[in-house]
Amino acid sequence: MKKLLVLVLLCLSIFAFGKTTINFWHAMSGSRLGAVDAIVEGFNAENPDIEVVAQFTGSYAETLTKAIASYRAGDQPHIVQVYEVGLQTMLDSGAIKPVFELSGPDYDWGDVIGPILDYYTVGDQLYSMPFNSSSAILYYNKDIFRAAGLDPNEPPSTFEELYEMGKKIVESGAAQGGISFGWPAWVFEQMHSVHGQFYANNENGRAAKATEVFFNDDFGVKVLAEWIKWAQAKVFLYGGREYDANQAFLSKQVAMLIQSTSSVSSIESKADFEMGTTFLPSIPGYPKGNSVIGGATLWVMKGHTDDEYEAIWKFFQYLMRTEVTAEWHKSTGYFPATNSAVKILMDQGWFSENPNHLTAFLQILSGTRIPEAQGVRLGNFVAIRDIVDGAIENAIQYTGSDYEGEAKRILDDAAEKTNTALEEYTLIYGK
Amino acid sequence: MNSRFPNKLLPYLLLLPSVVVVIVFLIVPTIQSLYLSFFRVSPFGDRLIFVGWYNFTKLFKSSDYVDSLMITLIFAVFVVIIGLTVGMLLSVLLNQRLKGLQFYRTLFIWTYAISPAVAGTIWALMFSPSSGPVTYLLKTFFGAEVNWMMDGRVALLAVIIAASWKMLGYNIIFFLSGLQTIPQELTEAAAIDGASSVRRFFRITVPLLSPTTFFLLIMNTLYAFFQVFGLIDIMTKGGPGDATQVLVYKLYRDGFINLDTGFASAQSIVLFVFVAILTVLQFRFAERKVFYG
Repeated sequence: MKKLLVLVLLCLSIFAFGKTTINFWHAMSGSRLGAVDAIVEGFNAENPDIEVVAQFTGSYAETLTKAIASYRAGDQPHIVQVYEVGLQTMLDSGAIKPVFELSGPDYDWGDVIGPILDYYTVGDQLYSMPFNSSSAILYYNKDIFRAAGLDPNEPPSTFEELYEMGKKIVESGAAQGGISFGWPAWVFEQMHSVHGQFYANNENGRAAKATEVFFNDDFGVKVLAEWIKWAQAKVFLYGGREYDANQAFLSKQVAMLIQSTSSVSSIESKADFEMGTTFLPSIPGYPKGNSVIGGATLWVMKGHTDDEYEAIWKFFQYLMRTEVTAEWHKSTGYFPATNSAVKILMDQGWFSENPNHLTAFLQILSGTRIPEAQGVRLGNFVAIRDIVDGAIENAIQYTGSDYEGEAKRILDDAAEKTNTALEEYTLIYGK
Repeated sequence: MNSRFPNKLLPYLLLLPSVVVVIVFLIVPTIQSLYLSFFRVSPFGDRLIFVGWYNFTKLFKSSDYVDSLMITLIFAVFVVIIGLTVGMLLSVLLNQRLKGLQFYRTLFIWTYAISPAVAGTIWALMFSPSSGPVTYLLKTFFGAEVNWMMDGRVALLAVIIAASWKMLGYNIIFFLSGLQTIPQELTEAAAIDGASSVRRFFRITVPLLSPTTFFLLIMNTLYAFFQVFGLIDIMTKGGPGDATQVLVYKLYRDGFINLDTGFASAQSIVLFVFVAILTVLQFRFAERKVFYG
């Protein structure tokens, strides 16, 4: 009896010690949470010697903060999901193990969709693992369009049209407001890239560290002045900084929504109206740019054992698997990160059955690949987003009639603060 | 003293746990903050660059900080006044002999027992622009369209209401116990002398409650300055713009979201000094009016 017990204990301990645990912190809430868990469960079932433990650690900002605090305490997770805004911070942190070191020099990343690869590549090397990339698109409620006497198959494609349609919707009483945004500062960045405008100097901080922002130039002022005009006409109803605006759209308070494509699945499943999606509206007369990548990637932290890094790389390869990538896209709306996943989805007829899942994808592939549209990389970007969000919130409270003047004043103020933040960043890390 | 503690070491030994807690959780972090406030710190804390008084000069030159200070003062004044007046009036009512008194008392006191996160969520839902009952009622009865996400003044009002409501239970507990120490004979004698209930309230109840009121004044001020983070984080995140960005929230934002530890440390030092001065002033001037019986 005793012998048996010892044997059992021995087996158990071997089993327990033989298992490599990988801690994975992420910020995927709502329906995204289930999708992450499904992936992790699939991987764990296939790899009995590895256990990936996925943990929801709050919003993107909170997840980053927690990862930093844990790193400072020497207790960091293996993998942490960091949003695109944290790119420069992570690169300079000295706390990461770049993905190219895990994959080795011979690994072929060619299957990853171009714009995603571009965004996270620095000096020809990929630093973090593509996972949930997205872009912004325009969602609209076809029922409200019909009620307002508009053609449900002709959503606005310019600012002018959006304003006119929004006014019609509000005046006809079809909805309380025309449009709402999620992630306002991100939408403001999107506007710059869509119109081929630099957001910051040194090619958006990609050629060298950015030291000055351009968003208070004529173009940025024009965009913000338009938004003030919309807000005053109730065409634009402000809906909060992240996903709060979805609620206004789902409750039919607004007819349109600019939001990340990652909300496609959840909005489609919750909406009790016919929803359409289309490209972001633009202002004619500017160069053709492209929508820009948002969302997050997975960063590997320093300070773990080689065995663990091997396990992480195994997990990453699992993520890259065509069927896993395709399923992730289906259940969320994030881009399918690889070309082979796109092909599978197409072959399955997924896109023709779910055209709203294709919108963001077509938008980014139909745009140009100029440096202006490659995405902004700034030091202290988290703080800068915050400054710009605040500026937009201040702007839409304006009740006067000098839209451009007010927009300029607010953006100048925000640019000054932003430039200080950039300067302080170079103070720490050099230029 | 010596007779009670035959061993000279024993008293110190008994004090040790609380001293250790104070040192580890209060003194050491304070010293660290003071130290860090003279540095620029990289987000991951691996680089420290000495910048002298930079963080402090930046603080006082920053219009944001002055705005935040003003917002905090407005916020604190309202929270304290609402908390004390409403709290005192409700306590007087709750001190009557009513049927089901226990039930009412519990109803008023429980606000203190719920967590700031829950309180914040409740009020955020109440004021929600798309589906909140408060916005709905205001629209139905007054035709007013209230969107706190787009109107900073409404947002500030909403957090003031929520913060005062949250503290109400605490105030009521203390006022009630204060009221129960007021001798019945005094009010009875005054009533026999023909003093009206309003007169009795102002001439007897208020002065005799003054020690409690003064204590609550300090506690509510500290609450309004330091303990509203959770509520604001859940409800407005300091927005729209900077309309509800009180000092503690700004500190959190700069330190933990914007990862500027040095600047946030400087803010915490200034906030500490500021509240210390405020408390000293309250003791100096308000305490004169307190009647300890």
